[in-house]
Amino acid sequence: MAQVEIRRISKTFVGHTAVSDIDLVVNDGEFLVLLGPSGCGKSTLLRMIAGLELPTLGDIVIGGKVATRLQPKDRNVAMVFQNYALYPHLTIYDNIAFPLRVQRVEKSKIDQKVRWAANLVGIESLLKRKPRQTSGGERQRTALARSLVRDPQLFLLDEPLSNLDAKLRHSSREELRRFQDRVGVTSIYVTHDQVEAMGLGDRIVVMKAGKVRQVGTPKEIYGYPADTFVATFIGSPPMNLVETGPVTVGFRPELFLPRASFEPGAELMEAPLRIRRIEYLGGDRLIYGTVSSSLPETEVISRIPSSIPFDGAEGEEVAFAVLTEEVRRFDSETGLAITAPNTLVRRAGHV
Amino acid sequence: MSDARTVQPGDRTLAYLTLVPSAALLILLSAVPTVTVFATAMQDVGLGALSGPWVGFENFIWALNNGAFWTALWNTFVWVFGSVAVEMVLGLGIALLLHQSFAMRGIARAILLAPYLVPTIVAVLVWRYMFHDIVGILNFFLMDIGVIDRPLQWLSSTSWAMVSVIIVGVWKFFPFVVLALLGILQSIPQEQYEAAKIDGASAFQQFWRITLPYVMPVFILTALLRTIWTFHKFEIIYLLTGGGPLDATTTLPILVYQKGFVDFELGRAAAIAILTFVILAALIAVYFLLMRRAESKQ
Repeated sequence: MAQVEIRRISKTFVGHTAVSDIDLVVNDGEFLVLLGPSGCGKSTLLRMIAGLELPTLGDIVIGGKVATRLQPKDRNVAMVFQNYALYPHLTIYDNIAFPLRVQRVEKSKIDQKVRWAANLVGIESLLKRKPRQTSGGERQRTALARSLVRDPQLFLLDEPLSNLDAKLRHSSREELRRFQDRVGVTSIYVTHDQVEAMGLGDRIVVMKAGKVRQVGTPKEIYGYPADTFVATFIGSPPMNLVETGPVTVGFRPELFLPRASFEPGAELMEAPLRIRRIEYLGGDRLIYGTVSSSLPETEVISRIPSSIPFDGAEGEEVAFAVLTEEVRRFDSETGLAITAPNTLVRRAGHV
Repeated sequence: MSDARTVQPGDRTLAYLTLVPSAALLILLSAVPTVTVFATAMQDVGLGALSGPWVGFENFIWALNNGAFWTALWNTFVWVFGSVAVEMVLGLGIALLLHQSFAMRGIARAILLAPYLVPTIVAVLVWRYMFHDIVGILNFFLMDIGVIDRPLQWLSSTSWAMVSVIIVGVWKFFPFVVLALLGILQSIPQEQYEAAKIDGASAFQQFWRITLPYVMPVFILTALLRTIWTFHKFEIIYLLTGGGPLDATTTLPILVYQKGFVDFELGRAAAIAILTFVILAALIAVYFLLMRRAESKQ
């Protein structure tokens, strides 16, 4: 187990900067998620921590030891790859035993370790099979077991769930988190899926174009996005943004509700919503429409849970509102959040 | 509209009709000659004739009791296994080298594959010049750097002729091995090596535990394919030595040619051809067996 420090790391490939001047501390035992759209540099950052890429600038410190130029094998990290990188010619048992075999651990110890790891992820019955005879979820667990046997001080996971179907991804996410809680190893997890990030991370690092946009707990990131990119990247549907001169106001669709559903006397920002379309999704309804009068005319979305009665129809104009305290304000020019209601908001560069 | 999955009555006829041209070609060019050779092997066919009196298995018995046949069989094995062994080792080594990334790799690959594309007659003429006892560049070079102190008789001594023939064979055909192995090398996912690196595998361990297992099935199939092709290779040997000096490089295909078109004993030549065919058929059976096993493993 170890703390990881990323000190002013940059990585430039021929003609383009993948990671630019990132500072980050991953606490001992923490589950940190690197989140961002593809090409934002999150995988490159992970690969630099693993030692598969050499940073152009900056240092990586793992467990108090500068690891920037160490070989991958000397960092005592384990990595789970997107395609699992299992060896197709080896059985599940031999795959899990691989890291120990190359380190010439004695046979009885290997056997004990392999069975322990296989048991931990629930694949004891598959040990004699080859990877191609197992399902996607089983392969993912095998990869996890293989990363476990060496007692690494750091887990690196590169989109390990992205090759699973939606249902399996959901249950694997839960398993993965429980598993990390049990072994308690510092973990860095790369994903472009905000639901995964929100569900798994102790903290989330939102990245874009090689830079960190925000670091925070899922709650902080969701509730107090540091800029309009984070505001719209996290949340589905994304935060509504309405530009009102130099200030852009933002509010979450599920907080923008019919005026009638608020208690009388609540401090509200009100706006009439002309309904263009209603999507019925079972648990809730998505209302697409245009706000006007008190706000400049802008397309917004409201998500109304089925517990709130709503009988508006397409084409009608209905009074909507959001609690003033839930309204976020951004600088229209820079996109950065303006009012920090508390110290939770950490902007890029002030991490 | 008809359901695309159901076979209409006319479809079957059409399907068979479209097969007729290729079936006819196969029968005319492959089946008929093969059967003819079988028939010829059973007859005593002499000069200027295409058939003769029926003699049963006499030609086979003659061949199996003849020293020339056994010498040719031995020569064939030396030629085949000598060539294939060197081709495979050289091919694997060079494929591994070309798999690395370095400047002008594309050009290096193109140059290395050139021998495979040079017409055999051109290659042989050039090599014969280079092998020449007196004016050949090989002897000149080897004497110059002091490896030998007098010219080697590359093609005209019974002990060196087979070596020379193998050298040319290897030179001409190792690019095929490189091509086959490079293909499989480049199909190994990079992640496998990265995972191994993180898990602490050294460069040698990565080669031994990842590269070799990946390459091995293709390596074995390529070796077998090269064995089959080398076994019935004719023109390289014929053009270089004509099977000589004496019978030093007379392999089975050369012997068939000599019996048939020098001695005009077509029946006996056919019998030797059939014996060669049996050995090759066995090799091909092994090839398909391994191929099927490799495919079922995929």
